[in-house]
Amino acid sequence: MIRRKSLGICLLGFLILSAGCVSISKTTLSPGSPEDLPRCYTIFPAEPWESVYKLEATLRGGSFSLLGVTKGEPSERRLQSLLLTPEGFILFDAELRENEIDVRKAVAPFDSLAFAKGLMENVSFLSLPPRVKPTGWEKKTDGTMICNWEGPDDSDTEIKGSMESGWRILRRDKYREVIKEAVLNGPFVNGVASHVELRASEPAPYTLRMTLVQPSP
Amino acid sequence: MKYASLFWILGALHLGISEKPSESVLAEESKMKKILFLSLLVSTTLLLPGAAPSQDWTPVKEAFRNIRSVKADFFQKRFLQILTKPLLSEGKLFYNTPDSLRWEYLSPLRSVMLQKGSIIQVYNFSEGAWKPEMTQAVEARRMVLAEISQWFQGRFEESKAFKQAYSAGPPARVILFPGEGIKKFIQRIEIVLSARPGVIDRVEIEEPGGSRTLIEFKNVEINSGFPSEVFEKP
Repeated sequence: MIRRKSLGICLLGFLILSAGCVSISKTTLSPGSPEDLPRCYTIFPAEPWESVYKLEATLRGGSFSLLGVTKGEPSERRLQSLLLTPEGFILFDAELRENEIDVRKAVAPFDSLAFAKGLMENVSFLSLPPRVKPTGWEKKTDGTMICNWEGPDDSDTEIKGSMESGWRILRRDKYREVIKEAVLNGPFVNGVASHVELRASEPAPYTLRMTLVQPSP
Repeated sequence: MKYASLFWILGALHLGISEKPSESVLAEESKMKKILFLSLLVSTTLLLPGAAPSQDWTPVKEAFRNIRSVKADFFQKRFLQILTKPLLSEGKLFYNTPDSLRWEYLSPLRSVMLQKGSIIQVYNFSEGAWKPEMTQAVEARRMVLAEISQWFQGRFEESKAFKQAYSAGPPARVILFPGEGIKKFIQRIEIVLSARPGVIDRVEIEEPGGSRTLIEFKNVEINSGFPSEVFEKP
C-alpha cells in the first residue's frame, strides 16, 4: 500500500513541476479581416505529422527525462502519443480520437486515468485548434497574429505570434485565470516547433520543456 | 540484445504493465511476478520449439574464451509502428568480466546504467547534471545487465529467461526465444556474431505487433583496458 502510494506521489510529482502560471490579461478582439483568418491556424499542423521530443520535467525531489512520440491526423482530430525511456521502453501509449481516450499501455507511475487525460489534453492543446471559429482576430503591423476562441464552458483560448517570432497559446478558465500556457519557438520543421515550454496550473502547477529531436517524415 | 528492449519486457514485468489504467497496481504486479516466475520455470523445462540450428556451443565458447573487456559504440534503431522513420539513439558500452558494465546513451537522451558486481545504478542527465533514476526499474535492469554480462562472455546458453539456438552461419548467430510470460512483449532476439572472435556485430529484437529494435556495435575494442571508475560514476 505504501508502495502504491509512493507511485501515486511519483505521478503527482510528474505533474507538480517547477513553476505555476503567470496571470496574463486577456486581449479583447472582434472579428478581423477574413483574409487574415487562416493565419489563426498557422500554428497547428494541417497535414498528418509525426514528432519525437525530448521531454524534461523537474519535480520536487528529482527530475524526469523521457522521449515523447506523437502522431497526428488533424482532419480526424486524432492523436497518438507514446512516452519512452531512453532505451525505448514504452511507458505509456494512448490515442485520442475526438474526445475519446484509448489507453493501450500504461506503466506505473503513468498508469492513472488522470495522467492519461492530462497528457492527451496537453498534446491536443499544442497541436489541434479549437473546434469552433475564432470569435476575434487581428493582424498587427509587425505581422504577428492574435486570435481568440471562446469555449463552450466559458473558457477561452488565445494564440499570439508568428512563425518567425514564435507563438504563445493561452487557455483561461471561466474566471479568466490562465490555466495553461505554451510558448512555441522555431525553427518550425514541417509545422512542428523545435522548442516548446508548457506551463499549466491544474491539477497542480507544472512546467514541461520539450526539444524536438526528430521531426515529421 | 536489444539490451534495452529487455527492459520493457523484464521492466514491464517488474513494474506491472497494465493495458488499461488500473487502481490495483500491487495486485497486478504480484500477478506479473508470478507470470515471470512461471515463464522462467517453463523456459528451463520445455524444449525449444523450432530450434533447428546446431546446439553445439563449443565454437561460441571458444570465440569468447579470451574476452576480458569490451569497449564499443552502439547505434540503436527503434522501429515503432507510430513512426515512419525509426527512432535513432547512440551510445557507448564498457564491459569487464565478470560483471561490470556501463551502458550509456549519448543521444537523444543522456542516460547511463552502471553495474559493478551486484551494485546497479541508473542516472539520467537533466538540466546540466546527472540525476538518479526515479522509477522502480532498477531491479529489472539488474536482471537485464546480468543477461548482458553473460552474452559478453559468450554464455548465451546460460540464460534462464530465454531458450536459445545457435547457428554457425556465416554469420554465426544466436537466437533467443522468450518463455510464455515474456513473449507477450518480445517475440525473438537475434544476436549476430562477428567473424572476429568474441565480438557481437548486432542484435535485433522483434516484438509482437511489428515493432522491433536493431542495435549495431561499432569501433569494438577487445581487452583494451580502461579505468574501473567508468563502472562507478556517471
